[in-house]
Amino acid sequence: MSDTPKPDHGRRLFRRTLLRVMAVQVATLLLLWLLQAHYTR
Amino acid sequence: MRALDWVIIAVYLVYVLVDGVRRAKGTREIEGYFLANRSLPWWAVGLSVMATQLSAVTLIGTTGQGATDGLRFVQFYFGLPLAMVILGVTLVPFLHGARVFTAYEYLERRFDARTRSLTSFLFLVVRGMSCGTIIAAPAVVFSAMYGWSLLWSVALMGIPTVIYTMIGGVQAVTWVDVKQMGLIVFAVIAVLVTLLVQLPVAPDHALALAGAAGRLRAFDFSFDVTNDFTFWSGLIGGTFLMLSYFGTDQSQVQRYITAKSVDEARSSLLISAYWKVPLQALVLLTGVLVFVFFVFQRPPLLFNPAEEQAVRAAEPATYAALDGRYRIALQERETAAHALADARARGDHEASVAGVDAFRAREADVGALRAEALALARRVTGETARDVNYVMPYYVLHFLPIGLAGIFVAAVLAAAMSSIAAELNSLATVTVIDFYRRWVRPEAPDAHYLLVSKAATGVWGLFACVVATFAATLGSLIVVVNRFGSFFYGSILGVFLLAMIPRARATGAFFGLIAGMATVAAVNFGAPSVSWLWHNVIGAVTVVALGLVLSARGSSRR
Repeated sequence: MSDTPKPDHGRRLFRRTLLRVMAVQVATLLLLWLLQAHYTR
Repeated sequence: MRALDWVIIAVYLVYVLVDGVRRAKGTREIEGYFLANRSLPWWAVGLSVMATQLSAVTLIGTTGQGATDGLRFVQFYFGLPLAMVILGVTLVPFLHGARVFTAYEYLERRFDARTRSLTSFLFLVVRGMSCGTIIAAPAVVFSAMYGWSLLWSVALMGIPTVIYTMIGGVQAVTWVDVKQMGLIVFAVIAVLVTLLVQLPVAPDHALALAGAAGRLRAFDFSFDVTNDFTFWSGLIGGTFLMLSYFGTDQSQVQRYITAKSVDEARSSLLISAYWKVPLQALVLLTGVLVFVFFVFQRPPLLFNPAEEQAVRAAEPATYAALDGRYRIALQERETAAHALADARARGDHEASVAGVDAFRAREADVGALRAEALALARRVTGETARDVNYVMPYYVLHFLPIGLAGIFVAAVLAAAMSSIAAELNSLATVTVIDFYRRWVRPEAPDAHYLLVSKAATGVWGLFACVVATFAATLGSLIVVVNRFGSFFYGSILGVFLLAMIPRARATGAFFGLIAGMATVAAVNFGAPSVSWLWHNVIGAVTVVALGLVLSARGSSRR
């Protein structure tokens, strides 16, 4: 077994992180929207 | 501030200094000193990117902004995740792959020496001054709130930072940033929890009070180019601003070119994309809860004690009368707040609706009196009152439990120091790589460049501390330099965008850059009401358009 990372390891890391980034942004914006919609009249 | 708070601050400063200095081990050449031999893990680089961008103003000013203006400032950051993704697939591979020390070095390879020298010179002028203001902003607040002398406040932040940055280089900057980022997040969450515990009403009712006062309005979809904080200015103007800052500013570029590979550099930027908007929302929400806290605790008419003293001394009768009316208005607002919370607790919908209207009216009365007091302070001191920066320090000083106040002040110092360290490190890199090695002494042993690099870090540190110490008297000059900086940010982004277009030529880039800055200056003076967030868009678009036209003309002549 070699410890050397596979060549596409970095790309996979980037894609996976990108998906998480988008999920966190959508969740945050949704939360802010809910706060505004629920408490601001 | 009590003894335990001081102990916490002292322990933090000693730890940071020791931790930074011990990173100097193994730094024997400038590749290690400035780029850590491109060996840093992506998560550490990512946290360093975040810590660099998060300054003391974020903790002091943004919480104050949340307390006085609500959540709408969060829109300013909506473009950041988008910018990070764009940079990850465009500029980062170019800059990391080019194996350069500075972003501007890449411009010489792509265009010519004059474009490199002009962009790096502009960076040195504006970043050198802004480094001083980064120290000055919290130092001025600390000295006014806690009675520390300005010199002592500057020294407290400046000296340890200069020492560990000078000795440890980028390794020290990055690894200390990681710990500082942890401290900052811990302090913000601790203050938020403390506020929730201290409030005399349930969190749901607290949010209802904040909502009634308009503090939870996070989205404004109007398209108004004169308004700094709208969804569109944040998304479009903010994207260009963040592209400029993270893509072309050496203080940021130097963070991610230390990563092990292009993919790790990209992933490090995504850490900021991950957490910036949620963290900023959390900081603003802390400010919003400070507002609710002061609904039930009597806040001063003016949060800045220096301004309050000046107004009291100059116009004692006017101030006393205003303060009397303010006390009554506060009492009425508190009564309305309790009435609203009680109605909500009873589940009485009609009384809740009436309670919201009543609270909103009382809050408007308080706001009008505060505006009157700020106008009075402006008249007396002859300066623009920046009361917003003193709201959080006032709360920390008077209401945070023992120990937590020390942690919060240490976090503010951490936020300031992480930004200062990155800026000093990048200023030294540009000085040595783009000027000393390029123009003064191109051939010299690595040990010589290392020595010059450490000296450059020390000199820039000294310069920043001197600028910070005289910040009060240099006020207008600093404003001029910062305004000048906003002229070229978007234009430099335009040059880097041109660099990625194969048919762009050196002449197009150089004259496009000058034309871009001139256009932004013309918009700034000709239409001052246009929000500065749009300046970066205007600058970048002008440089790319004109640069391509000039490049095409040059090619056709040949």
